[in-house]
Amino acid sequence: MEKEEVKKKIYELVEKSMGKKKLKSSDIQKTISAEAGISRDEVKDALKDLIDEGKLIYTYFGGSFVEIPPK
Amino acid sequence: MPKKYETPLLDELEKGPFPSFVTEIKKAAAKNDMAADELGQLEKSYRDKRGYWKHGGIVGVRGYGSGVIGRYSSLPEEFPNVANFHTVRINSIAGFFYTSKFLKEACDIWDKYGSGLTNLHGSTGDFVLLGTTTENLEPIFAEFSSRGWDLGGSGSALRTPSCCVGPARCEWSNIDTLDITYSITQEWQDEMHRPAFPYKFKFKTAGCAVDCIASIARADCSIIGTWKGNIAVDQAEVANYAKKGMNIQEEIVNMCPSKCMSYDGKELKINDADCVRCMHCIAKMTKALKPTGEKGATILIGSKAPFVIGATLSWVIVPFIKMEPPYDEFKDLIRKMWEFWDEHGKNRERIGELIIRKGMREFLEYIGIEPQAQQVKEPRRDPFFFWTEADLQK
Amino acid sequence: MALPQRRTDIGPPHYKDFLPPVIQKNYGDWKYHEILSPGVMVHVANSGDKIWSVRVASPRLLSTDTIRDMAAIAEKYCGGYIRFTTRNNVEFLVSDEKNLEPLQKELKDKKYMMGGIGNRISNIVHTQGWVHCHSAASDASGLVKVLMDEFADYFTTKETPNKVRMAVACCVNMCGAVHCSDIAVVAIHRKVPTIDHDKVKNMCEVPSTIAACPTGAISPEPSKKSVKINADKCMYCGNCFTVCPPIEIHDPEYDGVAIVVGGKVGNLRSNPKFSKLAIPFIKNNPPRWPEVTSAVRKILDAYVAGAKKHERVGEWIERIGWEKFFKITGLPFTFQHIDDFVIARETFRTAATFKW
Repeated sequence: MEKEEVKKKIYELVEKSMGKKKLKSSDIQKTISAEAGISRDEVKDALKDLIDEGKLIYTYFGGSFVEIPPK
Repeated sequence: MPKKYETPLLDELEKGPFPSFVTEIKKAAAKNDMAADELGQLEKSYRDKRGYWKHGGIVGVRGYGSGVIGRYSSLPEEFPNVANFHTVRINSIAGFFYTSKFLKEACDIWDKYGSGLTNLHGSTGDFVLLGTTTENLEPIFAEFSSRGWDLGGSGSALRTPSCCVGPARCEWSNIDTLDITYSITQEWQDEMHRPAFPYKFKFKTAGCAVDCIASIARADCSIIGTWKGNIAVDQAEVANYAKKGMNIQEEIVNMCPSKCMSYDGKELKINDADCVRCMHCIAKMTKALKPTGEKGATILIGSKAPFVIGATLSWVIVPFIKMEPPYDEFKDLIRKMWEFWDEHGKNRERIGELIIRKGMREFLEYIGIEPQAQQVKEPRRDPFFFWTEADLQK
Repeated sequence: MALPQRRTDIGPPHYKDFLPPVIQKNYGDWKYHEILSPGVMVHVANSGDKIWSVRVASPRLLSTDTIRDMAAIAEKYCGGYIRFTTRNNVEFLVSDEKNLEPLQKELKDKKYMMGGIGNRISNIVHTQGWVHCHSAASDASGLVKVLMDEFADYFTTKETPNKVRMAVACCVNMCGAVHCSDIAVVAIHRKVPTIDHDKVKNMCEVPSTIAACPTGAISPEPSKKSVKINADKCMYCGNCFTVCPPIEIHDPEYDGVAIVVGGKVGNLRSNPKFSKLAIPFIKNNPPRWPEVTSAVRKILDAYVAGAKKHERVGEWIERIGWEKFFKITGLPFTFQHIDDFVIARETFRTAATFKW
């Protein structure tokens, strides 16, 4: 799967979860790798890109989560 | 000029012989607006007997989820310069060695972009910069990282590993604590900066069982140097200790936990097979006693502060492992432990808590370590135990 | 001015670049060390080379002014080499013996407090407190200052039977080794927290808030999209507040400190042990907490008077028995001393042997 496609899947997952459940990095890795049939490392790599680009950010609320940055 | 606050209560803490943290805050407050408001808010805390800080949030440097801890005053109108007052953790040097050159550079950066206040060091061992604004985080990171320094860990991530002074300046160290710390820190930069664990994970490495880094109480993975072999005795030096007034029977032989020593007034004898390597005799009679033979480490897992199930001390998982660069056997073992934790751990569950919840058997089988009597103080005393199908076929 | 180019995932610099040449040369080849005075020790290598360490106290919270001063001193006498100890003291590393006296003179002139080496009270490991922590039930730096003032002579001159490791934690989260210290102060709350339900709804996750409670006192309150707390089960730990800030635990009137004793991390002679409760509560009385210093004084004096040479506080108490400890210190034994948390039954006395 192309990396851009993985990134899109990750972003959609985080978007869908917003306001319901905060996702941890490992939640995203587990869900996407299972759904897309790709390795954890591929998901991790795509997630790193999204974070580096600022499309997603890490947050801390008694634990570290991945979220969409506030507007 | 920064705002000047009256601090009658804190002034009381400038009296007395021990160096005063209030004096330190005042030094910074004389030229720094943030430090001035920190001082003002602290005086209010002393008056009201409560803290005024809020935590958490979304601050950090681009790409990282670690190294910056969001901190906000809950009284931003009253103390606007600490409305944002975030902590930056700089990964310390193994063994906490520094040069004046680095310290001066760090001070210059911190005076320019922060409060001018530090903690040397934080509880986990970071070089802690105490208090800055959100917009200064990127410049601080650029200044430090361009000089070869990186951020430490925070959040659900690998935390900055730390160690005792080890072979750099101690004759008791059985392992190279500084090199181990440096090697695991470099190996797992991604685990440190991009939080992906259920919760925090700390490594602490002690060269011997004296444990000057408190690894057994404060690390998810405690690496404690030890040896397999005899303690070499220099009887002439034993005689010197006796001559200088040491009561060898009282202070050494009687205090040996395994009762493996004897002394007849001339010769100190050790039954090495019974020695548990507690370090008491070696620490008290360093010139006379020296461990020989194979050196390595005991790996213990699980210590942490009280939340949630009560405080724990680390317990033995691997009684003995060689610790030589590049530490592949050790690193592979840790990776397996992390896999187990990733698979089963809940949010905010430390690895030790998970092992207690799932049972040692499941953990040991997962990481491929055999059950060994060294792992427990005593075998179970209840009659309730599991048998797997495979056990039944044995 | 443009910022320099940032770099990521480089980790810390290599420690070798920060070691004095004599340490690099004799790395891993030290023979023994000797304590020359409470603030000076010398390490001797098998090669015969020596390095002297001069230790001074630090409040841990340091201004850049003070760090620069320390750096300047290190440059003058130590080739710029300086280190920090695991208990936050500062060590000037002297490679040339002729610098030893002038260094100590300058440190003395500048009012640095030398000491802390050997069987003494070294520095007090502590947490952030009101200086910078969200969950502090007391101030750590202030308590450290008043305790170290009280026992300054045990840092600079006097000896104790063995090392006395003290710690202060500003809440039961216990950042630092309070749970395994000889004598430690830990700040506690004593009242059930109050809940701002409107904020909980927006700021907190109900499942993780429930999971944060060690005693299972928190349950959902669906009508308010919030949680409720069973007051009979709450032990006021404040973990819920850390996970969900609208659960307010601070209470200036009822917050204060407990004192725990007898813990250790080293394996020497006896196994590492947890600290145990000596005094369940002393009210917060800033700025100098006189009730805390006098209580610690009482415990320390009893230890110094009663312990054998090399016995740590916990080893002394285990030898004489806890019942005896309470008797000779005169500290009252209360319901709070009897464990009713998860490990309670391990602490009940299952023998008929004890002292009157």
